[in-house]
Amino acid sequence: MPAQFHLEIITPTHVFDEGQVDYVRAPGVDGSFGVMAGHTESIMALDIGEIKVVKGSVEIFYACARGFAEITKDGVQLLVESAELKENIDLKRAQEAYERAKALLKKKQDEMLDEEQALRALKRSMNRMSVARK
Amino acid sequence: MANLKDIRKRIGTIDSIRQVTRAMKLVAAAKLRRAQTNMEQARPYANRINGVLKHLLPDINRSAHQLLTMRPAKKKAFVVVTSDRGLCGSFNTNILRHAHAIIDEVGKKEQSQLICIGRKGYEYFSKRGYDVVDHYTGFWKDLDFSHAQEMAGAITDHYLKGDFDDVRVIYNQFKNVAQQEIVEFHFLPLVLEENDETITTDYLFEPSKDEVVKSLVPRHLNVQMWRFLLESNASEQAARMTSMEAATENAGELIDSLRLEYNKARQAAITTEILEVVSGAEALVE
Repeated sequence: MPAQFHLEIITPTHVFDEGQVDYVRAPGVDGSFGVMAGHTESIMALDIGEIKVVKGSVEIFYACARGFAEITKDGVQLLVESAELKENIDLKRAQEAYERAKALLKKKQDEMLDEEQALRALKRSMNRMSVARK
Repeated sequence: MANLKDIRKRIGTIDSIRQVTRAMKLVAAAKLRRAQTNMEQARPYANRINGVLKHLLPDINRSAHQLLTMRPAKKKAFVVVTSDRGLCGSFNTNILRHAHAIIDEVGKKEQSQLICIGRKGYEYFSKRGYDVVDHYTGFWKDLDFSHAQEMAGAITDHYLKGDFDDVRVIYNQFKNVAQQEIVEFHFLPLVLEENDETITTDYLFEPSKDEVVKSLVPRHLNVQMWRFLLESNASEQAARMTSMEAATENAGELIDSLRLEYNKARQAAITTEILEVVSGAEALVE
């Protein structure tokens, strides 16, 4: 059994080809899970969260939005609506998005319009900040 | 014979117009390149989601998912994708005429609702008293995936609330630089044509097949919407590029013919002058 597998993180605007990696941890909807080479072929729904990639002694982090993971014997594909490399996250922008979402939530209390969307925006911005601050 | 000064002025005007159209053509070409790269980058993601959904759909109970269930289409919604700006040939005119015909055929204004993406479509239909539920304008210049998410989300919300039972998207599909094709796409409820090349792998689904489908369908709709926006954007830039190129060429031809006229006029003026001088001199000799 090969000890490494091929990992791709695919978003609608970009493909991150990670090449051969040892381990990936992704945020499943029922909690994070780790994948190593030889994993059962599966499809898993992903939540907003953090992706951790281990390549030898290198660790790479992404903040990602929802999507799903497809694990086959050829490798792993993470299909997420957005993925940002930890180093590329603009903390200031994330902070602004966070404030905006919070303000929106406060205002929407009585109309309940699009509460879910605002909540999601809040979650996304919090996730970005937490990944960036690691 | 036209006045020399007038012709010179006209040549000057046309030349500056030509400079503008040429610049617009170059800008459109650059934007088109970017739009095409965007389209290419969206493809792997869209294809995978499509593939997995197709693989899953035969196995699940469609009626458990509102977005997958057909219901009697009493109220129809049309999403018309146009551009914000003009000067792109017949790009907007064509799609608006087409959409207008389809919408009138389906039912009068009362049975169909409209979602206008792009200012041109919004202006066209709101002026004619159609029921425009939503419109999105002014986003083309910084087109982003989040716009697609927002639009697809809003349309899905309307659909789930029962504001309409059937959603069609009318947009320009990018065929090549010289050709755009108007396409009508059935957006909701979601129908995927079954095909043979389904994935044969026996996957493990986490948390469950139904849950995966539930989270996949909105992803799929988002990326579909993204594709419509990208296609339309590329088509718009291509249309602008070709029409601006034609305009530049026409301006060139016009300048050529004006210059000919100008030279003729100039020659005629010189001839008259020489004639005058010669006959004046002859008069003196006598």
